[in-house]
Amino acid sequence: MKPSDLNRDEILMLLRTPALDAELETMLDECTEELCKAVQPRTIWRMLPVGHSDEGVRVGGLLLGGKDIALHLTGCKQAVLLAATLSAPVDALIRRAEASDMMKALMFDAVAGAAIEAVCDELEQSLHESLGFRYYTARFSAGYGDFPLNQQKDLITMLDAPRKIGLTVTQHNTLLPMKSVTAIIGLSDQPVKDARRYCCGKSCGECPNRDGCVYAKNPEDEKGSTQ
Amino acid sequence: MNFRELLKSNSFLYLDGGMGTMLHLSPGELPERLNLTEPERVAAVHRAYAEAGSQVVYANTFGANPLKLEGTGVDTAETVQAAVRLAKAAVPADVAVALDLGPTGQLLQPAGSLTFDAAYEAYKTVCIAGAAAGADLVVIETMSDLLETKAALLAAKENTDLPILVTMTFTETGRTFTGCPISAMAVTLEALGAAAIGINCSLGPNEILPLIQSLSKWTTLPLIAKANAGLPDPVTGEYSITPEDFASYMPAFAEAGVKVFGGCCGTTPDFIAAMREVLRGREPVTPNQHRPLAVCSGIRTVMLDMPRVIGERINPTGKKRMKQALLDLDFDYLRGEAISQTDADADILDVNVGTPGIDEAAVLPQAVQAIMEVTDLPLQLDSSDPAALEAALRIYPGKPIINSVNGKAASIAEILPLVKHYGACVVGLTLDENGIPNSAEERFAIGRRILDAALELGIPKEDLFLDCLTLTASTGGDGPVQTLRAVKMVHEELGLQTVLGVSNISFGLPNRPLINRSFLSIAMQNGLTLPILNPMAEGMMDTVRAFRMLAGFDPNCEAYIAACQNAENPQAAAPVQQASSSLTLEGAVIRGLRQDAAKLTEQALQTMEPLDIVNQLLIPALDTVGADYEKGTVFLPQLIQAATAAQSAFGVLKAHMADQGNAGGKGKIVIATVQGDVHDIGKNIVKLLLENYGFDVIDLGKDVPPQKIVDTAIAQRVSLVGLSALMTTTVGAMEETIKLLHAQYPECKTVVGGAVLTADYAEQIGADCYAKDAKATVDYARTIYGE
Ligand code: B12
Repeated sequence: MKPSDLNRDEILMLLRTPALDAELETMLDECTEELCKAVQPRTIWRMLPVGHSDEGVRVGGLLLGGKDIALHLTGCKQAVLLAATLSAPVDALIRRAEASDMMKALMFDAVAGAAIEAVCDELEQSLHESLGFRYYTARFSAGYGDFPLNQQKDLITMLDAPRKIGLTVTQHNTLLPMKSVTAIIGLSDQPVKDARRYCCGKSCGECPNRDGCVYAKNPEDEKGSTQ
Repeated sequence: MNFRELLKSNSFLYLDGGMGTMLHLSPGELPERLNLTEPERVAAVHRAYAEAGSQVVYANTFGANPLKLEGTGVDTAETVQAAVRLAKAAVPADVAVALDLGPTGQLLQPAGSLTFDAAYEAYKTVCIAGAAAGADLVVIETMSDLLETKAALLAAKENTDLPILVTMTFTETGRTFTGCPISAMAVTLEALGAAAIGINCSLGPNEILPLIQSLSKWTTLPLIAKANAGLPDPVTGEYSITPEDFASYMPAFAEAGVKVFGGCCGTTPDFIAAMREVLRGREPVTPNQHRPLAVCSGIRTVMLDMPRVIGERINPTGKKRMKQALLDLDFDYLRGEAISQTDADADILDVNVGTPGIDEAAVLPQAVQAIMEVTDLPLQLDSSDPAALEAALRIYPGKPIINSVNGKAASIAEILPLVKHYGACVVGLTLDENGIPNSAEERFAIGRRILDAALELGIPKEDLFLDCLTLTASTGGDGPVQTLRAVKMVHEELGLQTVLGVSNISFGLPNRPLINRSFLSIAMQNGLTLPILNPMAEGMMDTVRAFRMLAGFDPNCEAYIAACQNAENPQAAAPVQQASSSLTLEGAVIRGLRQDAAKLTEQALQTMEPLDIVNQLLIPALDTVGADYEKGTVFLPQLIQAATAAQSAFGVLKAHMADQGNAGGKGKIVIATVQGDVHDIGKNIVKLLLENYGFDVIDLGKDVPPQKIVDTAIAQRVSLVGLSALMTTTVGAMEETIKLLHAQYPECKTVVGGAVLTADYAEQIGADCYAKDAKATVDYARTIYGE
């Protein structure tokens, strides 16, 4: 992964700053460089059948909790379940920095957030190119809206993610390595209505956490970003 | 069925192939449940493998451990016993049944939150049940974490008499997902007593072949290969390689030294039959007779093929601040020493926590863990307390060095068995009941005695390093000469690695650095291979680098030149600012200039009391930045930058106060990320800012059980506890912690923060305050401590 693969605005968003002075800018460049070297992106995905019923939506036979994911997959007969991780060395790098230099730790953490996003975007792009559906929903993750976090274990088991990409989940539903994501993308030949985007810092959709969230976009900005 | 004999015989050995592939599981179906509900379905798979020529079948226990089965209603011991019994019944008597141990599915500390002990206990349950049901051997497979592998191996070794095979899973990079290199795996597992080691899963035969070739260079053990049938197609779920294609790689595997063959995901009995067919008429190649001499952590191997530096800084002797830090169980100081020695290019770090008033057996393993959070370097565990050594040896993920055994009968009897059981290297001190002998010959004789005792226990000769002991030159006499002679004798006559604590030599003399580095060069020339020294001390690392270069260990002088270049342009993130005469300490903090802040603090100490510096200079500066942050003219990075500058000022103040023997800031605050939550960074930002304002922060880390937080709060009599939780699933633990605190220590206040919290939510769970960020936390803490 190269620094140029990353979205600088996103990094600044995660650093909660509109801009940096020259000195911090240099430091961020160095941190970005170092983090990119540590990143070992790994992804795994499966295409699975989707079934809607009164109970909710099933993906690959697994019943997913909550209304939000069911709405997200409306009209889809198929979906991609994916997981992505930057791998363990990134966590180690951040952990070390936390013990020696919090400024760097903060920067590594923000760059890692943008890096995993970039990994997901790239995978998503390649799926769009290879799967041949006409419409794709945005990524929707466990923990967003009312899609329960405690289904993380089922999702990563379905992907055999521990064995395939070294991604595990704790008993309290945290993915480890930390800089990791699971998500579902609906596939359809009909237009999809996936208004429920939860892209932190870009568009809040109907995110229940938007009130008081430090990254929340104000509604004015948002009109521009969610076509 | 004697598996050990089979392994020794001069023929290939065939394991089985994929189990999951053959069971055709439907979504959500748990393989381990089938041992109890549909034993015939599992037995049919074993039979098919035995018929195809497998000499070992793996019982269906890969995921059978209490950590994975929690909440499934399947009892671990019950399914393990059923699995082993049904396998034994399914295959002929000449086919061995292996108890199969897979990963727990959880990451161990520090990457995750599972403790070594919990992992060990889980595997112990499986091993006891499996051995009781009659398993012929134990296989540990698909492992990624070396420490988890060690937990499984020790559980098997300490609770059964069965031979143990271990295979780990590597990526194309030659490392596992958790970063363990092939070398560290081989070095550690051979020392711990595995009967055979190898690689399984994750990749196809084409990708595994080069990894096996590299593994073969690191071990004398028989090698195992169990590749996947290529990669699965994400759309259809089918694997890509046919049995014939798969088998066609096997002659190359045999040439690389593989003796034990099998298959992993996607392979079937046809693959086993095809492999047998292809290898018919061939014989295993003779394995390596020598293994490279090395020590390792779970992620880094250090070959002992040239002088290697053991950093001596983590030792409280003569260091007031470290002593105090150890008494307070504050490991940040140790972490700092570990980081700076690592950055200074030490190869191995010595860890000693021996100081009066400390329970070494409890503290040494915690210190080792804290140090491993921040460095990859292998460690030398330094203690005279066998219980402390053992506690640390258990939780150490690689092949460490024990410092030390000596010629006393009691020491030999206590320490060497630990060396053997845990597969460590050990430093032997050439002293005994009569003290340190004067002559080189007598020290050599003690060394030889220790060596004989080690060999008798089956410890490989090369794993003993001898320390011929540096005596202070200033006492006169021929002390240095005898030490150097002894080193030379050990090096030349015994061929062992030699250790010396270098800086003792100059005690009481002027210009110590000169004596130290001169002695270091002479000693290396006489055969010293493992100098123990302070890598930050002037000229020491330079001397080592120059020696390596001149003595032929640094072809083309690359390492030497690279180090010199690094020294010329230190990659200090912030360009070194000239402390211009007009810059004040406040200004340095506000602008985030760390070096200046430290320098100016030293200057200020000449005229001001430490507490006045805090209250009159540092805090007003931080307040200025904080106010701007709140107004939105300064943002998080600038706030943190100022905070780190203030932190470097505090470092100077703390060192000063420790020297004067007074500690004590404004008040103590306990902070922790709650149980189940492993997000740390938000909490650490809060900690940094609180410390800036002079509070003593007791940081319990992440994933902290409620009772531990409450106990610490009570023991330290704090007035405020700060709790962090990032996700909705861990807010419950936060609530529980607050309830417990209210019940047992009602006078204590709580402040909470983290992504999904809001003021309402905080109130709902009974917190006294919600802090949206670190600045808000400081504001609240100041009201509590009456400012
Ligand atoms: C960046 C980010 C990510 C990144 C990196 C995560 C990380 N930090 O390691 C990535 C992309 C990897 C990610 C992944 C996921 N994320 Co996320 N992520 C975020 C985001 C945008 C920022 C979090 C962050 O790092 N902040 C930076 C740090 C410095 O801030 P902080 O921890 O909040 O700390 C500050 C304050 O909270 C406070 N504070 C913190 N601790 C304490 C303690 C005390 C005592 C006090 C007083 C104050 C205090 O002070 C700190 C300094 O100012 C949040 C949204 C948000 N609003 O926060 C979602 C969010 C946390 N993520 C969310 C989810 C669901 C996920 C995933 C589960 C999605 C998925 N299925 O893959 C995964 C899980 C990953 C895992 N390891 O388990 C949800 C959680 C919702 C829920 N139900 O719990 C959130 C809230 C987004 C949302 N809108 O729904 N995520």
